[in-house]
Amino acid sequence: MPESMDRLLPVDDASWGLEAYVSRGGYAAARQALTSMAPADVIAEVCRAVLRGRGGAGFPAGTKWGFVPQNVSGPKYLCVNADEGEPGTFKDRLILLRAPHALIEGIVIAAFAVGIPKAFIYVRGEYALISERLEAAIAEARAAGYLGPRVLGTDFGLEIVAHHGAGAYICGEETALLESLEGRRGQPRVKPPFPAVVGLFRSPTVINNVETLAAVPQIIGRGAGWFLGRGLAKDGGTRLFSVSGAVRRPGVYELPVGTPLREIIEVHAGGPPEGRRIKAVVPGGLSAPVLKPEELDLPMDFDSLAKAGSMLGSAGIIVIADGTPILDVLHVTARFYAHESCGKCTPCRIGTAWILKVVERLRRSGGGPADLDLVVRLAGGIKGRTLCPLGDAAALPIQALVTKFRSELEQAVAR
Amino acid sequence: MSYAPSPAALRRIEATIALYPEKGAAILPVLHIIQGESGFVPEEAESWVAGRLAVPPVRVREVLSFYTMFKRAPGGRHSLLVCRNLSCTLAGAEDILGFIFETLGVRPGETTPDGAITVFAVECLGNCDHAPCLQADGADHGPATRASVAALIEELRADA
Amino acid sequence: MTEAKRVRLTIDGRAVEVAEGTNVLKAAEAAGVAIPHFCYHPGLEIEGSCRMCLVEIEGLPKLELACSTVVREGLVVRTSTERVRTARKDVLEFLLAEHPLDCPICDKAGECRLQDYYDLHGLTAGRMIEARERREKKRPIGRGLILDRERCVLCTRCVRFLRQVTRTGELGVFERSLRSEVGTFEGRPVDNDYSGNLVDICPVGAITSEDFRFKTRAWFLTRKPSVCPHCGRGCAVVVESVKGYPLAAGERRVYRVTARENAAVNGHWICDLGREGRREIDEGRLTGVLRAGAPAKGLSWRTALAEVAASIRSVPGPDRTARIAVVLNARLTSEELAQAKRLFVDGLGLDRISFAGRKPGRADSLLLTAERMPNDRGVLEAGFPPRPPALAELSTAGVLLVFGPYLAEHFEAEALQNVLAAVPAKFLFTAHSGPLDRLATLAFPVAHPAEKSGTYVNIEGVRQPFGRAVAPLPSAVAEGAIFDCLAGRLGLNLGESDVR
Repeated sequence: MPESMDRLLPVDDASWGLEAYVSRGGYAAARQALTSMAPADVIAEVCRAVLRGRGGAGFPAGTKWGFVPQNVSGPKYLCVNADEGEPGTFKDRLILLRAPHALIEGIVIAAFAVGIPKAFIYVRGEYALISERLEAAIAEARAAGYLGPRVLGTDFGLEIVAHHGAGAYICGEETALLESLEGRRGQPRVKPPFPAVVGLFRSPTVINNVETLAAVPQIIGRGAGWFLGRGLAKDGGTRLFSVSGAVRRPGVYELPVGTPLREIIEVHAGGPPEGRRIKAVVPGGLSAPVLKPEELDLPMDFDSLAKAGSMLGSAGIIVIADGTPILDVLHVTARFYAHESCGKCTPCRIGTAWILKVVERLRRSGGGPADLDLVVRLAGGIKGRTLCPLGDAAALPIQALVTKFRSELEQAVAR
Repeated sequence: MSYAPSPAALRRIEATIALYPEKGAAILPVLHIIQGESGFVPEEAESWVAGRLAVPPVRVREVLSFYTMFKRAPGGRHSLLVCRNLSCTLAGAEDILGFIFETLGVRPGETTPDGAITVFAVECLGNCDHAPCLQADGADHGPATRASVAALIEELRADA
Repeated sequence: MTEAKRVRLTIDGRAVEVAEGTNVLKAAEAAGVAIPHFCYHPGLEIEGSCRMCLVEIEGLPKLELACSTVVREGLVVRTSTERVRTARKDVLEFLLAEHPLDCPICDKAGECRLQDYYDLHGLTAGRMIEARERREKKRPIGRGLILDRERCVLCTRCVRFLRQVTRTGELGVFERSLRSEVGTFEGRPVDNDYSGNLVDICPVGAITSEDFRFKTRAWFLTRKPSVCPHCGRGCAVVVESVKGYPLAAGERRVYRVTARENAAVNGHWICDLGREGRREIDEGRLTGVLRAGAPAKGLSWRTALAEVAASIRSVPGPDRTARIAVVLNARLTSEELAQAKRLFVDGLGLDRISFAGRKPGRADSLLLTAERMPNDRGVLEAGFPPRPPALAELSTAGVLLVFGPYLAEHFEAEALQNVLAAVPAKFLFTAHSGPLDRLATLAFPVAHPAEKSGTYVNIEGVRQPFGRAVAPLPSAVAEGAIFDCLAGRLGLNLGESDVR
């Protein structure tokens, strides 16, 4: 297999087109899967690769595919989660811009493995212009026979529809995404039933993140062992790490799972600007609890981050340098979740707004330790009690900020 | 006063509806098409969409009011989104918003008196390595500086 | 027919066995444990949003919803550990932080879940000192319903009821996060015959009825079960009334008719017709015996019945079949119909017995039947052929007994007047004043079904006994007592009678 398929993300968007993709080996894995593998074998290979979901939850993709019942009549669907909304994350944007065919090929292989004839790509509304390229790539793929009623000349048929969101972070949550796709408010559903059994239009549905699917051609093309070997035993492959904030070279870095966080920040992203030092790092998107400078020597994989009391999530790394008041960070965080709460369940709807009201008052007219205790306690009333993970995504980072930077915050609000 | 999309929009709407196994699923794409034409979704359009997609009009209102990108009232000819999430705040988003207020005299949510630009403060646009990020009529701009924002505003105003 | 599989589980140490597919909340009910909840309703699909019913399930790390967790064999559930009680207090504190202190002016006070749960599970001082969201408080949404958006806890029971039960979907939830609010689309208010259920199911005072607003207090109401007499469905209802304080001594008023659950008849709901029916329990009632339409002061019904008996006795035996006509109705209970049969058919040998009633209306796909009388099946069961009244038959009667005001539904006023003018002795037994009153020799005030006890058999043959739901008006007498008394004066023995 040509070497360039080893890199998921090209360095620029000059080679996004079909011709360039095919010439570097693209769609060979899809051909291999559809013409010489059984669907169950494809699933097994992806399981062996330990490809964990790259949207944030980290659920093993092969396992998820295996949950879909095969002996049912009626349609099945694949939903691609391109609702990239986790603050600090911009890797799916670049996949759509630079490697849309890798995504399409991954969709073809996944749909073949699970027996799915129709896929919807849920693209966040703010990526509408970016989606034009994706839709052009889909048209290219269809014209070349990689999509349509007889993919690559086989009996397998697949159509892909690009569907645009309209500005709601919550639609990144898989059941809220389904609700939105069905033309409703993006509010999460009670689980069980799980989407694999009752999903889009009540049919069995697989929902995968863009990066997760874009990695599938590599797994089939180069083998599960190759993919797994690039990462860790429980967490295979490479990840696209988004780095932003106070660093010299913000951008997306394709690195093995398990790369140390400090290395990503200081070696690849160039560390903080001249004369500034790292004060705090958000390691996995805003929903991942903040880490202090002394906590940065840890491998970036799901288990290590979880052990450290944070999460790998969407691997969106935001570096905060000294000189940035943590009260500002707390305000931005509280405001985000209060604005993005869908409003369905009590603790999130009321708790996130209450926390924001307290923090706004603290910024406006100050306060005391009791107010900070209140924020922590309110977050505690949200944590573990909500219908969907947005509750924890709000509560855990807020608690971490107040707990880890307590004395700075007390000083900041004292009047 | 009854509403009808333009023939071109209607063609796109019909093509879109055909992509979904249930008509109701086309609510968001159809609203995007209508907003693309009128700049916002008028109330009469809500009834039209409800009728065409065989859903109660209250369903359309629910969707319209839930998603921040849909506008129910006419705004400026151009929309200028300014991200104020973490990476952009760290990179100076507040200063950019302040500069916009100095230059245009409007705060987030407001439209310039000449009807050219409506400014919105938004959450993460997914472009954090170009912080501070703006999005003008769907096109990303960043890293924004006072100078680049001034130029962007001129460009938008000139496009009247 | 195979029965549903049974599942055994433990709730708060109590062993309980329920049908497969039951949720933990309902299973706890079976075990005598009430798990607090707002959004769950057995007649609606699971929403899982209020988060009040969180419980501990052994083996699971997080608290789980009792409403959406289906029972499994051997499940061990704990509903009142420290963790669970803290979770409930937190939900209550969140709700109350954004809830107006309206209790002194809110109709729901005394029957409000927020109040009740606060008493049971809260009682903590609220820590919210920030400004609460201010919202519209008196928004008409149709059918006399008023929405108070400040009180609303967004349980979405109202929205779900209109989507899932009536399938009319007039209500929706607009906006998002804390700005979320319930509303209608302009020009499309709530407009269906089941709108009153929204007040019943709202757990707080967010949806109230203009009909009930500010009129009384929940704790003054006496609530008694009854059966709705307004159509052939016979929905189970609760009649809610006050007698005496805070009204005047002796005064009685029915404030509300609400739904009562009956899986075999009406499920969880009743229609607005039944609710509106509360008015006729109090309004337009005949309050004393009338003679030719004028109050016969001091004349008791027992004494007046002597005249009726005398009229009947004045017709020689062999002539009775031809010259005595009786009009009955299907609001009579099955017991009263049996008495009427024994008195008029077996005892007096009459056969000119007909049944007048409310004109049939439109049936709907939910509860309302076309027939608008509650005991048509009871009439058949009592052995009466359900003959409608015939003017020719009535006009040749020498003595006519009419039970109920329904002749006016069958015949034009002028024709009826002419016919009755030709009948020498005509006696009317009715609960409400009407155009027939002045045409009758004597008019007797009878009880409304809510003031009686007895049995109705509904359109599907379901037999529903009911007891007296409101204290009867002083003058009102049940038809059963009239049959008894008449029989006595005629020297007839009606045998066993269990009418009170």
